[in-house]
Amino acid sequence: MPKRVAFKDKITVDATDLSNFARSVELSSEHERVDVSGFNPTGSNEYLAGTTEQSVTVEFYGAYGVAEVHAILYPLHKNRTTCSFKWLPDSTTAIGPTNPELRGNCQVLSYSPGSTRGEADTYEVQFTASDAAGLAFFTT
Amino acid sequence: MKTTYKVIGPTAFDDHEPGEEFTAELDEDLEERALERGSIEVVRGTRKKKEEEE
Repeated sequence: MPKRVAFKDKITVDATDLSNFARSVELSSEHERVDVSGFNPTGSNEYLAGTTEQSVTVEFYGAYGVAEVHAILYPLHKNRTTCSFKWLPDSTTAIGPTNPELRGNCQVLSYSPGSTRGEADTYEVQFTASDAAGLAFFTT
Repeated sequence: MKTTYKVIGPTAFDDHEPGEEFTAELDEDLEERALERGSIEVVRGTRKKKEEEE
């Protein structure tokens, strides 16, 4: 896939397509940096990769209708539910090496809708990976 | 046992478009959440949770 302008992304939460209610998505995947440095002549540090913390942050438009953003996300947060999350860069093309799909089981650990007078109602929601499989890109 | 559902929410559910009917064996918790928030309705068959409670 060459350079792209993002507008065909597909975002699915708990099996429901929320693409049209979302305007940005960002994965964070970070291994803890564990310092295992010993005495050495150069003074350089040595690190090993430790535990992994993963999450995806999506900016949604506030929508409070039946089966819309709030109706889907708030119960997931309130009930501490683990749900499926998927992000596909191009919804018009099949999943493959040039169009990998991010998948994982997540929890909505914090939920903070709000609004500002005269502006589009948007808020960010962070989906935190909640099982050993984590969040990973798949090509099939 | 598979159940037939109709997507009644404003957006696609499980890759099925609004208004579309589909037959599937959904996870019982996913089914319950989707029915409660109005994403889908049962067309043929029964709710899994109710089956177990009866």
